[in-house]
Parts: sequence; C-alpha cells; structure tokens
Amino acid sequence: MTIDWWTLGLQTVNVLILLWLLARFLFRPVAKIIAERQAAAHAALDEAEAAKVAAETARAEAEAAKQAVLSERAEKIAEVRKDAEVEKQRLMAELQAELDKARVQAKEDLARQSKAQEEALSEQAGVLAGDIAERLLARLPKEARIAGFIDGLVEAVGALPESTRTGIGLNGPVPLRAAQMPTEAEIAQLRDGLGKILGRAVEIEVTEAPELIAGLELDTATAIVRNHFRADLDRITAEVRKHD
Amino acid sequence: MDNPLSIEPLFHIGPVPITQPVVVTWAIMLALGVFSFVATRHLRIIPTKTQTVLELFVSTIEGQVRDVMNGDPKPYRALIGTIFLFILVANWSSLIPGIEPPTAHIETDAALALIVFVAILWFGIGTRGIKGYLATFAEPTWVMIPLNIVEQITRTFSLIVRLFGNVMSGVFVISIVLSLAGLFVPIPLMALDLLTGAVQAYIFAILATVFIGAAVAETPSPKPQEDISQ
Repeated sequence: MTIDWWTLGLQTVNVLILLWLLARFLFRPVAKIIAERQAAAHAALDEAEAAKVAAETARAEAEAAKQAVLSERAEKIAEVRKDAEVEKQRLMAELQAELDKARVQAKEDLARQSKAQEEALSEQAGVLAGDIAERLLARLPKEARIAGFIDGLVEAVGALPESTRTGIGLNGPVPLRAAQMPTEAEIAQLRDGLGKILGRAVEIEVTEAPELIAGLELDTATAIVRNHFRADLDRITAEVRKHD
Repeated sequence: MDNPLSIEPLFHIGPVPITQPVVVTWAIMLALGVFSFVATRHLRIIPTKTQTVLELFVSTIEGQVRDVMNGDPKPYRALIGTIFLFILVANWSSLIPGIEPPTAHIETDAALALIVFVAILWFGIGTRGIKGYLATFAEPTWVMIPLNIVEQITRTFSLIVRLFGNVMSGVFVISIVLSLAGLFVPIPLMALDLLTGAVQAYIFAILATVFIGAAVAETPSPKPQEDISQ
C-alpha cells in the first residue's frame, strides 16, 4: 500500500476550498435567514405582547369606564328613586288631603241631602198628616169644625196678658178667620164668650179660610190667637223636626 | 480487478498527477458549490421547500454541535457541516456507474482527518492559548503526557482507517459480487452501502465534533481545599 502524497495534498486543498465554498454560499446565508426569521418571530412576538398589553390596558380601562358608568347609573337611579319617593309622598299627601276634603265635602253634602230629605219627608209627612186629618175631619159634621173650637179660642184669649187682652176689639170689629162660615148661633156663642172674658161686648168680622181645616183664628192688632188644626199640625211638624 | 489500495493518475497537470478521487472531488465540489449558490440566491423569510430542507440540514448540524459541545455552534458549523456533506455525497457517488467514491481511497480520508487534526489544534489553541492547550496533555497528571500525545495521533488515524475501511470494503465487495453475479444481484449490497455511507459520514462528523469539543472544553476548576487542620 502506497500513499499518493500529491492526491493527499490536492484532496486537502479541495476540502478546504469546499469548506470555504459551503461556508460562503450555504451555511452563512442559511444561518442568516434563520436568524432573520427568528428575529422577525421575536419581533412579532414582542409586537403581539405589546398589542396584548395594550389590549389588556384598553380592556382594563373599558372595564373601569364600565364600572364608572354602572356606578353613576346606580347613583342616578338611587337619586331618581329618592326624588320619585319624595314626589310620591307629596302626591300621596296631596291626594290624602284631597280625599279628606272630598270626604268632608261628601259628608257635608250627605248631611245636607239627608237634612233636605228629612225636611222634605217631614213636609210630606205634615202634608200627609194634614190630608189625613182633613179626610178624617171631612167625615165629621161641618158644625163640628167650628163649634168644637169656640171654647178653646175663648180660653186662649183669656190666657192673654191683660194689656193685650184690653186692646182687642177697641178699634173696630175683631177679625176672625174660620175654616168655614160659622152659623149665627156659633157667632153668638163666640161673641158671648169673648164678651165675658174681655168684660165688654165686641163685634166679630168673620172671614172664611178653608186652609185652617177646622177651627178659628183671631187676628187683632195686638195679638193673633190660633185655635185650628192647621196651627196644631204646624206645631206638631215643628216639634217633630226639632226632635230629629 | 484493480488493487483498491493503489491509485493511478488519470492525467498530469505539469508535474502534478491528477487521480480519479481528485477529479470526482472536483465534480462534487462543483455540484455542491453550484447547488449552494443557486439554492441560497433567493432565501426568504417564508421558505420554499428547498429552503426548508436546507434550513433543516443547517439547524440539525447546529443542534448536533450544540449538544456535543454545550456551546455556540457557529464557529464549527461550516467545518462539521462540510465534512458531513462531503463524505455523504462522496460515499453516495458510488451509485453513479463507473464512479468510485473518493473516500474509498485513503488519501481523501487522510486529507479529511488531517483537516480535523489541524482544526483540533486551531480551536484548542484559539480557545485556551498555546500554554493552556499544551497543559491539557498533562491531565490528569504529567505521567499521561506520552499517552495523550499518542492518543492525539491514533484517534486521527482511527478516523482515517474507519472511513477508509468501511467505504473501501463496500466498494470492493460490490465489485466482487458484480463480477461474479448478474447485474441486479449487488443492488441490496448497494443499498446497504448507502446506509453505511450515511452512517460513516455521521460518525466521522460527530467524532470530529467530539474531538474539537474536547479540545475547547472548559477544564473544571479544582474545588477549594478545605482546612482540615482543625
């Protein structure tokens, strides 16, 4: 076995040249592009990280803004609720006052209507009583409508004070209203009775007044003496109203 | 059959005999150089398929060197990568009919081993300095100096012999089988030879990396002695 030193030397030089060639045209450019890609990747990662940080910051700011808006909203809602509550209380108070006023008014109206109704009823009752009495008296004989009241009228005149009684019949005939025209005998009885009470003879001027139903009414300048059913019914009605 | 251990010049350039391994090496250099130049003319951030393969190759070389040396692979990338690529292409050049791989001749293997030997010295001295590098021969004790010197030589020769023996034997066996059997009988052996060629390229490159790495590796600092006088 022999070694060709020329070939050994040439191969050494060849490998060194190949080493230079590959280093120059293969390994250096490829390593460079790998490094550039890594740098680009790192830059992209850094950029993405920065974008992420920016996004996180923006998100935090948005969250803070949202919380601020929510807080402000809650405050405004509370404020509005408070105002609404105050307004509600005011309206309720006004409504309550109006209701009280209306209630009082209604109570007054009701009392007034009740009173008016009672008065109307009383009046109707009086009228009805008058009608009843009139119908009942219509069944009595007509003489009873005057004769039965003569003594009572005389007694009433006798019950008047002396001064009043003295003035009756001094200036002319005594006006007398009767439910129906009395008979001569009834007039004479009345004249006699009054003469006894007054102590002197008096003239009587009779006027027919059917509204008296039954009875007599002496109408003088100093006194009016009533003894008839109308007066009694009016008195009874007045008494009933007073008791109500 | 020619003696595989002998080599005949094809022609002469002046006094220099040009043998077949040299011519084949030139062809390989031309092919690799042109391919590298063309393939790396338009490298882009978004790679093409070819660029992806190239980047994968370079990244793998860097990864292997980094794993073995535990350091920056940049100074050794071109050397280790060139050794691996050249040996691989040279071994696989036997697929071309009539071409005998340059690595089947000891001169080429010796040239590669010589370059590795010089690289060990170059990087070792460049990293440690002359004194520091020479001091490594006295590790762990000065008694080891002769053995370390012999080791430097023998491991270089082991590189030569390993590569030469494997490739030459493969070519020799295929030649014998081809001369005895038909045209297609050596195909399995040729496939095996491809595998052997790739493995030998890898082994040569890794051993070169290991030797250079051992030359530039940081010597572990001795632990401070504890005071035991107490």
